[in-house]
Amino acid sequence: MTSPAPTLALSQAGRRLAGRAVVRDLDLELARGEVLGLLGVNGAGKTTTLRMIAGVLAPTSGSVRLGGEDLYEHPELARRRIGYLPETPPLHVELDAEEYLRFCARLHGVARGAVAAAVARAIERCELGEMRRRPLGTLSKGYRQRVGVAQAIVHEPELIVLDEPASGLDPVQALRLRELVRGLGREHAVVLSTHVLPDVSACCDRVAILHRGELRHAGEVHASATTSLRVGVARALRADDWRALPMVVAAEPLDLGHWRVELAPGSAIDAFAAAVVAHGFGLTALGADALPLESTFLAIAASDAPAAAA
Amino acid sequence: MNATLLIAAHEWRRLRAQPFAWTLAAVVLAFMAWQFLLALQAFVDLAPKLGGLKDAPGVTDLVAIPLLRSLSNLLLPLVPLVTMRAFAGERRAATLPLLLASGVGNLRIVLGKFVGAFGYVLVLVALVAVMPLALAAGTTLDLGKIAAALLGLALFAAALTGIGLVCSAWASQPALAAAAAFALSALLAVVDAGARLQGVSNSGINYLALPTHLEPFFRGIVASVDIVYFVLVAAVALALATRRLDTLRGSAD
Repeated sequence: MTSPAPTLALSQAGRRLAGRAVVRDLDLELARGEVLGLLGVNGAGKTTTLRMIAGVLAPTSGSVRLGGEDLYEHPELARRRIGYLPETPPLHVELDAEEYLRFCARLHGVARGAVAAAVARAIERCELGEMRRRPLGTLSKGYRQRVGVAQAIVHEPELIVLDEPASGLDPVQALRLRELVRGLGREHAVVLSTHVLPDVSACCDRVAILHRGELRHAGEVHASATTSLRVGVARALRADDWRALPMVVAAEPLDLGHWRVELAPGSAIDAFAAAVVAHGFGLTALGADALPLESTFLAIAASDAPAAAA
Repeated sequence: MNATLLIAAHEWRRLRAQPFAWTLAAVVLAFMAWQFLLALQAFVDLAPKLGGLKDAPGVTDLVAIPLLRSLSNLLLPLVPLVTMRAFAGERRAATLPLLLASGVGNLRIVLGKFVGAFGYVLVLVALVAVMPLALAAGTTLDLGKIAAALLGLALFAAALTGIGLVCSAWASQPALAAAAAFALSALLAVVDAGARLQGVSNSGINYLALPTHLEPFFRGIVASVDIVYFVLVAAVALALATRRLDTLRGSAD
């Protein structure tokens, strides 16, 4: 028996714009219930990739498949099955949220009788209740972004594509948006682009890092089997001193009083802390180290030579 | 409701929510009402002298048709103002992706925009037409001639709407779209002026000119060649606008 086709599958997808290859040979898959974070510095090709996924921009090579069907051979698939929030929410500012969402629902093929319920559901999920009758042009940036998300989900698509959804939001708004995306990821397949690493670690299951139009890394966000810690000690130590602790697999100095220490899979952090104290290292601080993702991202962003996708 | 009508109805809703559309309609109706009253007064002043003439022109020829002809001149700058935001405004506000990502084909998007803008212009034409038609309460009108003139105006407005839309699709700014559409429409309105000055009225250049095909409608003549001309202009414009949307899908904005 063959397994069902993934919600989204990019196969060797590439796009040239103005004679330049903006995106090359992308291979990606995404299933319902997953959130994929597309990371990359500005100009890495994130927006072009998302536009190909959203059905706006046909790939010049390769294919984009939705549930096994080619999106550009069946463009009508996008109407019902994809929700897209571009970098700037496409709001008709002279209308209020309800009028606008009613149009979006109908545009995406929601039956006339089901529009009211679909709009009410999107308004509730995006917490737009108080603002539903206000002209969109008078809303704050955070609320505009929420209306943008609401138009992307009003027709309950299988695939939701969000381009920099947290861009320009204050920390509280960004947090609420992450919660919303996390919630959407339980029922839909979600692709979001960002260059904010905490966004990816907070709401994504998987990450793909693009650089200069190429996929340089793809994997689980929380895939690291080891635990990486940042440890402050009062004593001057050598790497060998750390290896004397049974749960430590690697240690490197960050500065005179701080080390990055990696523990073996399954190691308990309290046991590690007890061992550090027992060895008299003079523990002054203990915290989670930066995500392994960050070092991967920074290394890719700093590199210019093409590398094989992980 | 299919996607074309849905987009057209949405365009209407957006126009209704903007002071611009109401202001434009108010200005047009006020100006045309003023013209109508002037023409009517002139007719009333002239009526005693006309009574003695054989085959004297009636109120249709002296009030209704001149009013509709005057409206046709006003449509040249008016229609580009209605169509300028159709695509250029969407691009400027970064809202075009909403339509492009909806899975609705480019032709349907263009047709939806066309029906929306054309509908608004038709309502203005209809409201202006009510003025001379109101005279039917007190006099006899040549309704056939007025119907022919209104058909001509509608076809003329369709061609101008098509030209306006293609300019809006090509320009990045609404003001630029309006200026380009007005320039193109005005060019088509006067393209045969030189030939006419030379006394040539039956050449290819005459065929290209908008008035060549509009004027017969004002004389009560409905010819298929004129209908085909306006339909062709509108169709070519809409086809070019559709092509342009294909290109816009691939551009950065």
